[in-house]
Amino acid sequence: MADVRLTQIKKSFGQVEVLHGITLDIVSGEFISLLGASGCGKTTLLRIVAGLEGVTSGTVEIAGRDVTELPPEKRDISMMFQSYALLPHLSVSENVRFPLRMRKIGSRDEQAEKVRDALETVQLGHLADRKPRQLSGGQQQRVALARAIVSRPQVLLLDEPLSNLDARLREDMQVELIEIHKRLGLTSIFVTHDQEEALSLSDRVVLLNGGKVEQEGAPSEIYSNPATGFASNFLGAANLLPATLSQTSGGRAAKLEDGQVIPIEAGEDGDVTLSLRQEDATLCADGEGALSGVVAARIYLGARNRYVVKVAGHEVRVLTGTEDVFESGTRVGLKIDPARVRVLPRD
Amino acid sequence: MNDRAENTLLVLPGLALLALAFFVPITQMLILSVSGDDGPTLAHFTRFLGDPYYLGVLWRTVRLSVLITLICAAIGFPLAYIMARVGPRLRLWLIVLVILPLMTSVVVRTFGWMVLLSRSGLIPDMLRDLGLVGRNFAIMQTETAIVIGMVQVLLPFMTLSILGIVTRIDPRLEEAARTMGCSFLQSLRTVVLPLAVPGIIAGSLLVFTLSASSFVTPNLLGGARIQVLAASIYRSVTQTLDWPFAAAQAVILFVGILLILVPYARLAGGRSNG
Repeated sequence: MADVRLTQIKKSFGQVEVLHGITLDIVSGEFISLLGASGCGKTTLLRIVAGLEGVTSGTVEIAGRDVTELPPEKRDISMMFQSYALLPHLSVSENVRFPLRMRKIGSRDEQAEKVRDALETVQLGHLADRKPRQLSGGQQQRVALARAIVSRPQVLLLDEPLSNLDARLREDMQVELIEIHKRLGLTSIFVTHDQEEALSLSDRVVLLNGGKVEQEGAPSEIYSNPATGFASNFLGAANLLPATLSQTSGGRAAKLEDGQVIPIEAGEDGDVTLSLRQEDATLCADGEGALSGVVAARIYLGARNRYVVKVAGHEVRVLTGTEDVFESGTRVGLKIDPARVRVLPRD
Repeated sequence: MNDRAENTLLVLPGLALLALAFFVPITQMLILSVSGDDGPTLAHFTRFLGDPYYLGVLWRTVRLSVLITLICAAIGFPLAYIMARVGPRLRLWLIVLVILPLMTSVVVRTFGWMVLLSRSGLIPDMLRDLGLVGRNFAIMQTETAIVIGMVQVLLPFMTLSILGIVTRIDPRLEEAARTMGCSFLQSLRTVVLPLAVPGIIAGSLLVFTLSASSFVTPNLLGGARIQVLAASIYRSVTQTLDWPFAAAQAVILFVGILLILVPYARLAGGRSNG
């Protein structure tokens, strides 16, 4: 267990700079998520920590030691790949023993003991002699996890390890990951594009956008206080509406592009972006709500309906119950609690 | 017409060609090898197996073929790995470079080696000038010359067989091995090499068979004193005109190759299935 310190990491592939100076301190035992859309540089950053990718400039420190120039095998890390990367010619137990064998940890008997423990941890003790391709995706996933934790590395790197699993298995694995992390206390860096996964697993979320840190903080903090339009959109799938905020005769209000007005208390006057979570609005008959728009689509989700409503030329997503049904094409009103509308500076 | 009949029909031309060009001559060869002046005889076989000279020729053929196969594998594996991991443009150039020897005629290529390896040739001259070897040093007309010449021709068969397998190995397996404590060379040994075994076996089968049955290169580079089996067969056919004895030698070569290849191929099949 150790802290990881990244200082001003820059990385270019040819002429293209994909990481623009990232600085990050990860404390010992922390579970941190690198969250971002594909192409934001999150996987590159993880590979730099692993040593699979060099840096253009900047330094990587693990446990106070500068490892920037060290190859992966000289860093005390282990990594779990999106494709699992189990060695197909080795059995499950040989796969799990591999890091112990290569790092020369313990005697043969101690290694066998550790392999058994690790496989028990992921509840796969009974499959030790199978070959990886005889296992289901979920089982391969657990073998990869057992292999990643068996050597008790200082840092555990996880590259979207859950993205190939179906929804049920993914939830099970999330619970398992949290438990294992609590028990072993490994410093973990988790790369994902799934905001829910990031929010539910980590102690801290680092939101990356275009090779820069957009925002970082505890999950609840980053969810409830997104600092930018990108952050609020990415984290809460929030709706963003450009508006102009000013003092009017009836109090402070935001004026949308088509002239609709909602009273807003917060924020500074001028051009702003209003951010509204999809669960913070409900639909009602036209004229009864704060805003009005036309239903463009209704998506039935079982317990709820998701509506896409065109308001002032922008699509607004609204998540509601299934009691009232509004067909597409109808003009509806949006009931909004002005206190739940966040005012963000215009990007 | 059902599928089965259609398939049979499709396979017929191939079968006919195989029967005409392969099974008929092989059968003729078998008959010839046991034919004597007074009916069927095994005399040609006993003559071969009882003569230390011919046993020596057989042993040399097997020994050189094994050596050539080993050297091809030792060069071919790293070469194929590099070809698999470089960019597509460079890979194309490397492939052209590797199969270039196959594009030149065997005689021209072999004379090229004769120029380089002969007593006053470029390579012995250079070695003498560097003081690495004595005045009487020669490569021509030695087994070394045969091995050098054969490895050059047969390397593409090995390299391309391995290349086909190695390009299908996920590079992330090597990266995973690196994060688990392998140095680069260890990741080659513990991950790439075991996974490339089917390619190495396929390449070895080709190289061994081709080198055991070749005679132009060994004959020109090894000279008359260093005979291999195929060259000895050629001599029996063209010089002593002892066709039944030539046929017996051919049968021994054929059976010998089968005896070595069948267990080896089975080993390969077992590995890729297990």
